[in-house]
Formats: sequence, structure tokens, C-alpha cells
Amino acid sequence: MRLSCLQENFKRGLDIVGRAVATRTTLPITQDVLLVAEESRLKLCATNLEIAISCWVGAKVEEEGSLAIPARLLSEFVSSLPNDRLDIISSGPANQVQIKCARTEAHISGHDADDFPPIPSVGDGFSVQLDPEVLRKAIGRVVFAAATDESRPVLTGVYTEFEDRSLTMAAADGFRLSVHKVALSEAVPEKISVIVPARAYSELTRLLGDQTDPVTVTISASGTQLLFHLNSADMVSQIIQGTFPNYQQLIPKSHGTRCVADVGEFLRSTKIASVFARDGSGIVRIQMGPSDDGLPGKLVVSARSEEVGDNTGEMDAVVDGDASKIAFNGRYLTDVLAELSTGQVALETTSPSSPGVFRPIGADDYTHVVMPMFVQW
Amino acid sequence: MTASDSEAGRRLIIHADMDAFYASVEQLDRPELRGRPVVVGGSPEGRGVVAAASYEARRFGVRSAMPMARALRMCPDAVRVSPRFDRYHELSQIIFGFYRELTPLVETLALDEAYLDVSAAAPLPDEPLRVCLEIKAEVRRRTGLTVSVGAGASKLVAKVASGHGKPDGVVVVPAGDEAAFLGPLPVAVLWGVGPKAVAALEARAIRTVAHLAEAEPAVLRAIFGNRALAVAAMARGEDQRPVEPVRDHKSVGAERTFSRDLGDGPELRAVVERIAAEVGSRLGAQGLDAGTVTLKLRYFDFRTITRQTRLGEPSADAEVLRNVACRLLEQTIQPADRFRLLGITTSNFAPSGAARVTQLRLW
Repeated sequence: MRLSCLQENFKRGLDIVGRAVATRTTLPITQDVLLVAEESRLKLCATNLEIAISCWVGAKVEEEGSLAIPARLLSEFVSSLPNDRLDIISSGPANQVQIKCARTEAHISGHDADDFPPIPSVGDGFSVQLDPEVLRKAIGRVVFAAATDESRPVLTGVYTEFEDRSLTMAAADGFRLSVHKVALSEAVPEKISVIVPARAYSELTRLLGDQTDPVTVTISASGTQLLFHLNSADMVSQIIQGTFPNYQQLIPKSHGTRCVADVGEFLRSTKIASVFARDGSGIVRIQMGPSDDGLPGKLVVSARSEEVGDNTGEMDAVVDGDASKIAFNGRYLTDVLAELSTGQVALETTSPSSPGVFRPIGADDYTHVVMPMFVQW
Repeated sequence: MTASDSEAGRRLIIHADMDAFYASVEQLDRPELRGRPVVVGGSPEGRGVVAAASYEARRFGVRSAMPMARALRMCPDAVRVSPRFDRYHELSQIIFGFYRELTPLVETLALDEAYLDVSAAAPLPDEPLRVCLEIKAEVRRRTGLTVSVGAGASKLVAKVASGHGKPDGVVVVPAGDEAAFLGPLPVAVLWGVGPKAVAALEARAIRTVAHLAEAEPAVLRAIFGNRALAVAAMARGEDQRPVEPVRDHKSVGAERTFSRDLGDGPELRAVVERIAAEVGSRLGAQGLDAGTVTLKLRYFDFRTITRQTRLGEPSADAEVLRNVACRLLEQTIQPADRFRLLGITTSNFAPSGAARVTQLRLW
């Protein structure tokens, strides 16, 4: 392998694939970046066996070849170099690479490229083009509701369904459920659903950056991997095998109280209450009162703790139905309100021990269900 | 002995221990196994260990914790059965339910073993035997299984007594006879006298409980340190430990030693699955939800490591325990690793259902 490229480009490539480098691993070579010199470019690959990211850097290749190099060392070294021409040569001792830049020269020991886990190629299969803006929004709306512990692997993923002209994403950790449904510009040829690791979607959002060109999503015919083809990189993710809970039946069909409030105010009150809820079990209490005697309806957000003290915040709200109260884990509230960020939100409840449903006003693309905490009022 | 000693202060403790519990349950549910040697445990392909052996199998020398392959060599006619912890748990619930009808002072030692403080139920001197026989008859009536029962003034005496009568036995040690009953027995029957202490005592020709009761305090101090007085008291039959219905559990776990070292693969995964099922069943029996799962691995060279993780939500679900333990295993195991032991321990238990605040679940 013998090639030259710009330090800046090489560094950008390393940053892109760096997030797929394994950190805690039992297969040491997954802590490497695979360099492949091909035709007129250099390909960089990294994988933690759940996701694999590949990207290409323009290069002048004199001799093709490939080698796996410890990612951390390579990154630290390359990012310290001046933005100048890099010469990458591996011709000396086996599995060693020489990198020259300006007046710096290094030799780094790597590993045989053949030992690097093969990056699955996702060729033919179901394929669809998605607007990055649509993808970004959908991922943001659901990904935080996925489980982070591994006790039920399917819940660490996001259920992703393509049907006709719509894309639905759903995530649930057992305490809350997020469902986002968007229209596609073109109908898909067949209905297909997969469970994509939430971590893969988080990385995808990062890789998307400010890309505006469509992203091609391809699901392998075997249903085991999917490929996201971006301008800057390709990401392949494993598909989680298993059955996602039937989430539709978890969404209440009716409600006794509906409270519409400003998202920003609601979020601010919740954050304040969370400060006081911190030492308890994070309990934030919500009381909703309909308008009375010409006075507007009210939403009251409060928290109290035996040791610290208590706090009550109040805001105007349109409350239909009965006065009611419900308590939630403060973090679950801030998660959904922060994601909605602006506009108005409706909170629908039936009883202090039935799920609360959050829906943005003016859009019917999003439903977020949160189970309350059962407390003594 | 004054009147107040014999009445107000007298305790009657019963140790009830099911006979070859897992194996007896299998013989109960499968009549064709009755009268035949039965061993409960993992499959004999080198790895399984005996969890329980019927008395027919014990006659051939088969014992719990013995590698299955060895057990089947000793007793080639034995029928091997995989454990069914759900079923054992179900019967255990019936048995413990009955014990709790007799007295609220029931201390669970295992699915098949408990101490009962029945002092209040047997106020007259001739009643201990009646109570014991009643327990045996009722356990048999409700489950079809036999239990060995020992009764005495302390936990120590009751436990030694139940072991004396096995199987299907009754041994009652009358008040005042404790020292005479324990005296001729080997020192190892005493709680807190382990193999090291037995060897140290043997070196001084102290072999029986009676020898120990008469030993010089200085000798006992050299061997047992600050526990010397307690051990000496126990040797005289004095054991004031109460029967504690609720024990403060710090951890619940299980482990298996393999009869040959195992690397990663289906066999090791199957072991994880079985241990997780057993731990889940024990947690269920105690009504506990664990917040932390610890995986213990002992390498072929006896190097031992533990890896632990917190659960998002406390659980007693065997499937959750298995998934978490497998994940910990995957994060640790190297391709060439060989293990001789694997264990799963759970700890950090959630407060019982009495907690005032509960995060409700979607499903």
C-alpha cells in the first residue's frame, strides 16, 4: 500500500468512522480502523459488530493494499499533524505502516486486513430513499424512549415500518412508548418492518450532519442488516431479531381529561420541579383544573421532598373534562417535552394509574404514552 | 429446673427437611420412576452436575453436586431427569403455606428446608412428637411427599435431629438431653465448624462434640479466635439463635462447577440459562426483585473474576437474568478462554411490594 492524501481529509474520515470503533470488546481487531487503498481513493472502515461505518477519502494511490491500524493511536497521531500532505506506506515489515507528514514520520504496527471482520455488503433487498430532515425528526422523536439496559434486546431497538406511503417508528422501554408516523413522497413496493438498534439511529443522526440529499436505506433480503447510504459515509447496522410488542394496543383509545398547554412553559416548570424531586424517586406531580367562573384552566406542576422542600409552578391551560391529577417520573416528562420543544402539547389522562398521552397540537404524526407513578397524594 | 424454666422459657424448634426433594417430586409426578434410582441434574455429556439424587441412587454412592457423568458411572441404571424448578417451587409454596398455618415463625432455608418455632403450639411436654407426626402426615396428605422432622430446644439440635432420622424420619430430642444427644457426634455437625477447624481439632484429638465441650478454653481460642465461647456453648447444646421469619437477604445466587473446562459455545450458554432459571426461581420463592446481577467466572487456572451490572428495573425474571448474564459474558469472554465454574448472583434487592411509590408499567 502506498498513497498520499491531505491530513485534513484523512482526519475527517477517521472522525466519521471513529464512532463505530469498538470500545469494550472481546475481539481486539475491532478497535482498529481498516484502511483500504483502492483506485483513486482511500477507504476507511470501523465496526463494533453492531454497526459498521465506511467512508472514502480522496487520495493518490500508487499501490493498492489494505491494513488494520489501532484507531485511537492513529486518530491521536493524525489529528496532531499539520494540514499537509500525508504519505502512507506499508512496504516494510509485515503489518506495519509508515506515515509521513511534513517533517514528522511514524511507524505504526497494525494487523492483517484479512483478520478484520468482514463488513456485510447489503446489495439487493428492499430499498427506499428518505429525506434526511424526515429521518432526523423521526429518530429524535422516538429514540429516547428505547430501553438502554439489555434485559429485553428488542426494546433497545426502534421498530421501523414502511407501508405504502408512510414510515412509522416506535420505541418503548416498558414505561413509555413513542410513536412517530410520517408520509413518504413515494409509495414503497411492499410492507416491511425491522427493529433497528437505537444506537445505530443515534449514530445515523450524527452522520447526517447537515446533509440535504436523500439517504438511501436498503434492507437486506435476509432481513438481518440494513444499509444507510449517505453522502459522507455508508453505515451498516445489524437488525435486532425478535418480535416488537404490539404497541398499538398500548395507546389509550379514550380519556377523561385533556389539558392543552404551552410546551416551553410546561418544560420549564417540569425542570424546576425536577430539582426538588431529585432525592425522591423523581416524582413530579401534575394537577389539571378546568376553567371555573370565568378564570382560565390551570396546569399545576409540583414536587416535594421530605428533606429538601417543595415547589409548585402554575400555568394557564385549556382543560377539557374533569379536574384530575397524575404523577410522572420527571425525567420522562422532560424527555418528551424537550423533544417537542415548541408549540402546544395536549396531555390526555384517564386516572392516576392509567397511561398519560402526549400529542403535539397541530400535528397528528406523534403519540407519546407515559405510565404514571403510583403515589400517595 | 424450676417451673418457670420448663414452661415460659422452653423453646420447641422443628427443622423440617424434605427427603431428596427434587428427585422425590420427579417420582411423584412420574409413577414409573418410583422405586428406581433417579438423579436430577444437567445432561451427562461431561458437564452436568447432580442437583438431587433419590435414595435408591444414593445407595450407589451418588451425591448432590457430583458430576453427572460420574454419578451415572456409579449407578448406570439411574434415570436422569432435568430439573423443573417451577414445579419444585409450586410444591414448596404448598408446603410452606402449611408451615405458616402452624406458626408465623417459619425461617426458609431453601425450597425444601425450614425451621419452625412451634413453642406456642406444643405447650405440654409430651406434645413435640405429636406436632412432628402431624407435620409429616399433613405434608404427605397435601403433596404426596415425605419430610424428615427433627425437634429440640434449639435450631442446632433440631437440624442435627432431622438429619438423624432421614429419610421419612422423626427424631425428638427431649429438653435437657441436648448435650447427651450431641456428645457422640463428630465436631463437624456444629454450625461454624468447617473443614479447617475439623483438621485443627483432630490434631488435638478432639473428634466429638463431647470432646469439644470439655476442651480447654485456650485451645478453642487458638482455633476459633473470638468465636471460641460461642462454639463451646454450642457444643454444650446451647444455641439461642432465634427462628427468623424474614432474613435480611443480601444476595441470592447459584453457581456450577463444570466437570470439564468449557469455552464459549452452546454448552456454556445452556449453563447460563439453567443457572438463571434457578436464581429466578429462588428470587420468586423469596418474593425479591434484584437490582444488580453479577456474573462470576472461574478460569481453568482458578483465576476468578466477577462482572456486574445494574438492571434498568429490578427483576426476578429468569429471562432477564439470562440476557443480562449473557451480555456480561460476551463483554468478558475471549476466544481461547476456558472456564471451570460459572455463577450468577443477584443483589441490591428492591423494597418489597409494600413500597408506597411505584412506577407503573405499560405491559
